[in-house]
Amino acid sequence: MSSLLESFTTELRRGTLTLAVLSQLGTPQYGYSLVQRLELAGIVIEQSTLYPLLRRLEKQELVTSSWDTTESRPRKYYVISEYGIEIFEQLKNEWVAMTLELDSLFKGDAENETN
Amino acid sequence: MKLIDKYIYEVTRRLPEKNRDDIALELKSTIEDMLPNEYTEEEIKQTLTKLGSPAELAASYKDKPNYLIGPNLYDTYIGTIKIVVPWAIVIALLVHIVENVLLISVEEALLSSIINAITVTTVNLVSVVFQVLFWITLGFVIVERTDGLNITQKKAWTPDDLKNVKIIPKDKKIPLSDIIFGIIGMTFFTIIYFYADRLVGVYQTADNGNLTFVLPIFNQDTLIFYAPIIIFLIILQYAMLIYKFKIRNWTTKIAAVNLVVNLLGTIVFIFIANNPHLLNEAFIPYMADTLQITSSKVELFTERIIWISVAIFIVTNILDVFNGFRKAKY
Repeated sequence: MSSLLESFTTELRRGTLTLAVLSQLGTPQYGYSLVQRLELAGIVIEQSTLYPLLRRLEKQELVTSSWDTTESRPRKYYVISEYGIEIFEQLKNEWVAMTLELDSLFKGDAENETN
Repeated sequence: MKLIDKYIYEVTRRLPEKNRDDIALELKSTIEDMLPNEYTEEEIKQTLTKLGSPAELAASYKDKPNYLIGPNLYDTYIGTIKIVVPWAIVIALLVHIVENVLLISVEEALLSSIINAITVTTVNLVSVVFQVLFWITLGFVIVERTDGLNITQKKAWTPDDLKNVKIIPKDKKIPLSDIIFGIIGMTFFTIIYFYADRLVGVYQTADNGNLTFVLPIFNQDTLIFYAPIIIFLIILQYAMLIYKFKIRNWTTKIAAVNLVVNLLGTIVFIFIANNPHLLNEAFIPYMADTLQITSSKVELFTERIIWISVAIFIVTNILDVFNGFRKAKY
């Protein structure tokens, strides 16, 4: 992949990451379990991006966290907050609207080409 | 195991103290999650490679911007530098000139102390520029990081803001360099005029290589006789330069003031040039003696030089006045 294309792709993905992460936090997840869930869905996320992102979301009060020390190794679990759900729903609507808009733009292009 | 601890240390030492323990603990459990139950050093290395460079990981944990001055402040920053630095140079230059004039020693020839002063002044000017740049930058970095004054919060733009914008055509603009050179030029003129008896004259190289001042060309009493009108003209010139700096474009008003100032200057210059006692009485005999020609030849020669200077002075002043009006007309 050319570096220009790569930087465009990264830019495109960056905005969607929050959406992807919030979508998976309906049930409590720890860092690595979240990575696995996202990878299963085909979303590749740099781990060095994910953990700082989780902390930022916590600071913005979109998610809450708690340490679980009952297991063999302590794990920090993140779960979406009520405020987070609110924001997530709105963001999701934005995303749906945006993809529809772009789709119609692309279709318009295709029609112009066939004419 | 050691590798993991070292990696975590490399990340957390770059983070604020209050978050260190929590992030360290989370990182550790994450790394262990990524590894199988029994793992080799090679597997640790693979896992750490996935996490990437500790410096980059630490940087992405930070909320503070990793730039000194962001896009919101950048324009203001450059604007401040453009205004402050030229003035710092002018003020520092004036301070140095005044200081050096006061410190002129009697023993040393004036020209060599001037050469000395120019060296010292140049070095100091460079240091002043660096100082000013440093403090402006530091100020803006602090504002960028704190923004307690909300300077970066710009008021929403409306078309009404355009009311205060004046379009200055390129040809009408008075370049800043003109004003700065004007100020420097006037300052040099003032010094040379009032110290002519120690500056403008015949110099000789002494045996030790130093320049010694032999005798002045002008009669200082005659020059001082015109001092009130000269001082008046100098003040007028400075006032005009400051006014030019405020307006920054040629107007008919400035062109008219420029005409008056130049006209007065020319008249005074002609008067001084015409004064029979302008030259030092000892100058002509000395030159005649040195050059081995008659005094009348030297007299004729100096007279010609004076009138050529008058002619040049008149022509440049007329051009300057004409230029002002032409630019104001655009």
